Amino acid sequence: MARRVTIVSIALTLALTAGCADPPNQQIQEAEKALKEAQESGAATYSAEEYAKLEGTLAAMRKEVSDQEGKFGLFRDYGKAQQLSASAKAESDRIKTATVQKKEEAKAAALQAQQVAEEAVRATQDLVAKAPVGKDRAAVEAIRNDVEGLKSLLKQVQASIDKEDFPAAQTQAKAIHDMSQAVSTEIQNALAKVGKGKSGRRK
Amino acid sequence: MMGENGTYNAFGVLTVVSCAICLVGCVQAVPPDLVAAVEAIDQDLIALRAPETAPEEYGQFVRQWALLKARTQLDDELIRWPWESSDLESDLRWLYVMGERTVSQLHDRQVSQQRAIQARVIRLEEQLRSVAARIEAIDGRILLGEKGLQTDLLVKQARSFLEQKDYPRAMQAAEKADHALKVQTSLLSQELGRYAEESRITYWQTLAKQTIDWSRMHQATAIVVDKAERELTLYKSGRKVLSYPVRLGFNGMLEKQFQGDGATPEGRYHVTDRRGQGQTQFYRALALDYPNVEDRRRFQLAKRSGKIPSSKGIGGQIEIHGADNEQLAQTLGCIMLDNPNMAALYERVPVGTPVTIVGALTKKNAVASTLAQLDRGKEEI
Repeated sequence: MARRVTIVSIALTLALTAGCADPPNQQIQEAEKALKEAQESGAATYSAEEYAKLEGTLAAMRKEVSDQEGKFGLFRDYGKAQQLSASAKAESDRIKTATVQKKEEAKAAALQAQQVAEEAVRATQDLVAKAPVGKDRAAVEAIRNDVEGLKSLLKQVQASIDKEDFPAAQTQAKAIHDMSQAVSTEIQNALAKVGKGKSGRRK
Repeated sequence: MMGENGTYNAFGVLTVVSCAICLVGCVQAVPPDLVAAVEAIDQDLIALRAPETAPEEYGQFVRQWALLKARTQLDDELIRWPWESSDLESDLRWLYVMGERTVSQLHDRQVSQQRAIQARVIRLEEQLRSVAARIEAIDGRILLGEKGLQTDLLVKQARSFLEQKDYPRAMQAAEKADHALKVQTSLLSQELGRYAEESRITYWQTLAKQTIDWSRMHQATAIVVDKAERELTLYKSGRKVLSYPVRLGFNGMLEKQFQGDGATPEGRYHVTDRRGQGQTQFYRALALDYPNVEDRRRFQLAKRSGKIPSSKGIGGQIEIHGADNEQLAQTLGCIMLDNPNMAALYERVPVGTPVTIVGALTKKNAVASTLAQLDRGKEEI
């Protein structure tokens, strides 16, 4: 009788030991690392949709692991979590490669927009330089003030490029270009009004 | 022999029939187009940014999809007898329906969000136009410096992101633009708030009243200039004789502090010289005694306290004059009238005439009203 009890106990212990699955920690860590690397490569900005999917997969994996951990040891199954982590890892490598390409394209577009904006501001500056310095200066004073402002705004484009936020840099440069052209038109209208400049006076 | 052959034939026929049944009867457990449809749903969910906007639903979908995808790749699940039901197919169909429902919900939600962002950007553009017009009306553009341009930049960025369908960034830029609009309104209130200060208006009213009383007492002419209303009024023996619109400095609403600031001075002055044809480039001019003693005292005090850079001078040659160029909307700090009005004024004003320049004479002056409107607009942002 005692021998039968011992055999049953051993069998149960073996079943329990064999049945208690451990979470695939290494795979989870690799998947988390891959997500971090994708994020650092700029995937959230340049491959937003794919990156969102990756984040979603990782979130699903974490939830799955947590669900399994909540179960009684014998019933834990980390198969789904393993599949999710493997899928996330593979996806992240693909996304990183695609991001590098997209980021380069965005950088080129931003730099070109920056150049166009700088040229527009320079042209506006040249127009302001032709404006009168005498009593008629009043007509272009607000415009002169705007040109100084535009020059300062160009620094924001450079700051966005330095931060590698190329979409922001591109939209900023485009806006500055448009504003610069509007100011140029304003200067031309003002210059048409004042005509030839005259000597300055104290005020 | 026949019997043996017959047995072989029967066995052969049975084998062929069995194979035929197997080949014809076995069907794929999962229709490939169903797998493709679920895959497409996954793509739709991604395109709708489901991982961000519906993480719970998307997480559930992904976990189920990962499991089912793995099952579709297992050989034993791929083929079944026609009479066998397929759990995998049922599960995939359920997942498809669930995913489709989420896609539909997210699509509706996204469309409504897009409309909201679009409406917000349009409202911002309108607000910016209206604020810019009001600021222009009170000569506040220079006062704002770079801030006006910064707001314009952000509004344009919001529009660009909206056109690129980057709604989160469009929203972000719109929020920043909202904030920038509030900041510039606050700055204007800070710089021009004195036009709404009761004590300051009372002081200006007193200055104007004393000037008119002096005119009455001395049976003489006197001038009062109201900067907020951009109006010059000539009094004779305490009675209003004429009133003309004027143009001021490019920073005219400010109180003059130093040379080149474009502000028009405030205080009590006198006509020190009359400049007729050939003596001025501005048709006719009445020179004022700016800077007076009070101006010099204030200037020295501001310089000592560091409010004015040490390199700056106090300025001078402030006049009431006509227009050399009728198209100019502003001066460097003088008070400019249209030439016919200047001619009429010039004829009536002798040297020594008191000229009182004040910010405003009523609480509901043009600058205070504009500031109030801008402030109300700020609440609405």
